[in-house]
Amino acid sequence: MGLFDVKIISEHFGVHDARTLDYFERKGGYRSARKACQMAPEAIAAEVTASNLRGRGGAGFPTALKWSFVPKDAQTVYLVVNADESEPGTFKDRNILYWNPHMLIEGMIIAAVALEVRSAFIYIRGEMARENKVLQAAIDEAYAKGYLGERMFGSGVSLDITVYRGLGAYICGEETALLSSLEGGRGWPRLKPPFPAVKGLWGQPTIVNNVETIANLPWIVEHGGKAFADLGTGRSGGLRLVSVCGHVNKPGVYELPLTVTGRQLIDEVCGGIKGGRKVKGVIPGGVSMPVLTPDELDVPFEFDALQKDERIREVEVRPGQKFDLGGNRTLRTMAGSGGVVVMDETTDMTQAAWRIVHFFAEESCGQCTPCREGTGWLAQVAHRIAFDHGRTGDVDLLASIADGIAGNTICALGDAAAWPTLAFLTKYRDEFEAKVRHAHRPKGAA
Amino acid sequence: MRRHPSFRARKAVPGQELSPQIEARIQQLWSRFPEGRAAQALCLPVLYLAQEQFGYVDAEVVDLVAGRLGLTAAHVTGVATFYFMINKVRPGRYHLQICTNIGCQLVGAYEVFERCKQRLGVQNKGTSADGNVTLTEVECLAACGFGPVAQIAEREKPEIPLYFENLDATRIDAILDALAEGRVPTELGN
Repeated sequence: MGLFDVKIISEHFGVHDARTLDYFERKGGYRSARKACQMAPEAIAAEVTASNLRGRGGAGFPTALKWSFVPKDAQTVYLVVNADESEPGTFKDRNILYWNPHMLIEGMIIAAVALEVRSAFIYIRGEMARENKVLQAAIDEAYAKGYLGERMFGSGVSLDITVYRGLGAYICGEETALLSSLEGGRGWPRLKPPFPAVKGLWGQPTIVNNVETIANLPWIVEHGGKAFADLGTGRSGGLRLVSVCGHVNKPGVYELPLTVTGRQLIDEVCGGIKGGRKVKGVIPGGVSMPVLTPDELDVPFEFDALQKDERIREVEVRPGQKFDLGGNRTLRTMAGSGGVVVMDETTDMTQAAWRIVHFFAEESCGQCTPCREGTGWLAQVAHRIAFDHGRTGDVDLLASIADGIAGNTICALGDAAAWPTLAFLTKYRDEFEAKVRHAHRPKGAA
Repeated sequence: MRRHPSFRARKAVPGQELSPQIEARIQQLWSRFPEGRAAQALCLPVLYLAQEQFGYVDAEVVDLVAGRLGLTAAHVTGVATFYFMINKVRPGRYHLQICTNIGCQLVGAYEVFERCKQRLGVQNKGTSADGNVTLTEVECLAACGFGPVAQIAEREKPEIPLYFENLDATRIDAILDALAEGRVPTELGN
C-alpha cells in the first residue's frame, strides 16, 4: 500500500450509504466515541497533544494548544464547529458534511468529553441546503440511538448538538464573527484578546474548530496520538484534505500526506494541466494566501514549509522592499484552508487578482475603515488595470492601498485582501505594468 | 455586503402573520440557548423561515419577526440587511445564482453569466420582465472543482436549492429553457 492510499477521513466519500449510521457503525464508527465517554478529559487531551493535530480551517494552529486555553475552573464551555466553508477554492468540508456526517458527530462527542462541553453547535453555511439536511438527519439518528443527548452510550456524560445555519456572509467563517452571528446579530468580528477559548459565545469559554479538524479525532482516539503524528511531518500530524480547482485534468478533493509538493499534486494527483499547457501560478490555500510561481512548486504543501522554505520568494510592497508581517517577519505563503487554485499559462493574472480583491470588497463587514474603504479601492484600481483602463502609477497605488490595510483591522479579512494583492504584484509585476502601458486612454489623459 | 439594494419599506399586506411552522421551530429551538439569550439567537433562523414563507424580508416582515421575538426592529433590520441570502426585494419565481469567483472564473463563469444576462434581458440582480427569473452573481459556493456552478432557489420551495455544476453554453441554455417552461431542471442538478 502506497502512502497515497492511507485515508483517515475520505475513504467513504462517494459511497451512497456512507452517511447512514448503520453503514458508519459497520465500518467501525462510534467505537472511539464510546471509548471517549469512559476516558478522563485529560487523557483525551493528551492524545490530541501527542497527535500534532493542527487546525484545518486556515490558521494551522495546534488544536490541543487552543483547547488548553480554556480556564480550568470554567463552569460552562461551548464547542462550536465551523462549517461555514466559504474561502474561494476550498470545498473539502462540504464533502465531509455530505458523505461523513457521523464522523463529524463522533469527533464532536470526543471533543465535548475532553472539554467538558454539554452544548455544542455546528454553524453551517446557509447555501449548503443539501448538506444541512443530511447533517440534521444524521444528528436525529444519533439521538434516536442514544449516542447524543442525556447519558450518551449509557455513560454519565451528556451532549446536545444544534445546527445553526448561516445566511450568506464569508466573514462568519472568522471565529469571532461566527460567534456574533450565532448569538443572533450581524457577523461582526471582535477584538482578540480575549480569545474565544476564554470569553466566547455569550461570554463563556468557547472552542471553535473546523469540520476537518474535528473529523480527525475518532481516528486519533482509536489509533493513538502518536500514530497520527507519525503520519505527518515535523510539527504537523496526520494527513490533509486538499481541494484542487482550476486548470487541472482531475480537480477534486484528495486526502494526502503533508509531504506532497505542489508539483506532485498537479502532475501525479490531478493528472497535469488541461490540454498539456504549462502552469503559471498556484494558490496553495484559498485565495487569501500568496500565489506561487512555477519555480516555487517543489516545496511540500505543509504549514511550516510554505511559511519558511527559502525557495519561496518573500512578498514585497515594492521591488526591493519586503512586506513586514509584524515582528520583523516576512511573508512567503501559507497552507491556509487547503484550497488549491491552479492557473495555466493562458490566465490573465491581472483579471485573477481583480476577481480576488473584488470578492473581499463584497465581503468586508464594514467595521474597520482600512478594510471597508481599502478593499473597495483595491477592487476599483485592480478592475481598471485588468480591463485596460489602468492609469500611470496604478500598480504602485494598488500596492500602497494593500499595505495600508494589512495589520490595521480587527480581523484577518483585511490581511486576506492585502496579501494576495501584494503577492500578485511581487511575482507578476511585469504583466500588471504591461497592462497599464497598453491601456486605452481618452486623449489627453495621463 | 456593499451591493445590497437599499432597504425599503413596502406597503403593508393586511392579516400577515408568521406561520405555525415558524412557531413550532421557535418552540423546538428555544431551550437550546441559555436563558435570556434565545430570542436574539433565534433572529437568524426565524428570518430565514420568514423568507421561506413570504419570499423576501421587507419592513413589515421585520416587524413581525421583531414583535414575535421581542427584539427591536432596528436590530432585526440590521441583521436582515447584513446577510446576502436575505432578499430585501421580492425575487422572481426562480432565483438563479451564478458563482463567478476565481475557481469558476478560470473555467468560463463570466461567459455563462453573460449568456444569462443576455437571454433574460437583465443585469446582475435584475428580474426578467415576466417576473419569472431573478439573476444574481454570487460568491464562492464551495464547489470549485466543478465550476462554473449555479444554485437555483424556487419561491416557496425551500427543499429545491440544488447545485448545477460544470456549466457551459449548452447546459445553461437547457437550464434557462426549463425555467422558462416553469420547472427547475432537477435532472441536471445535484
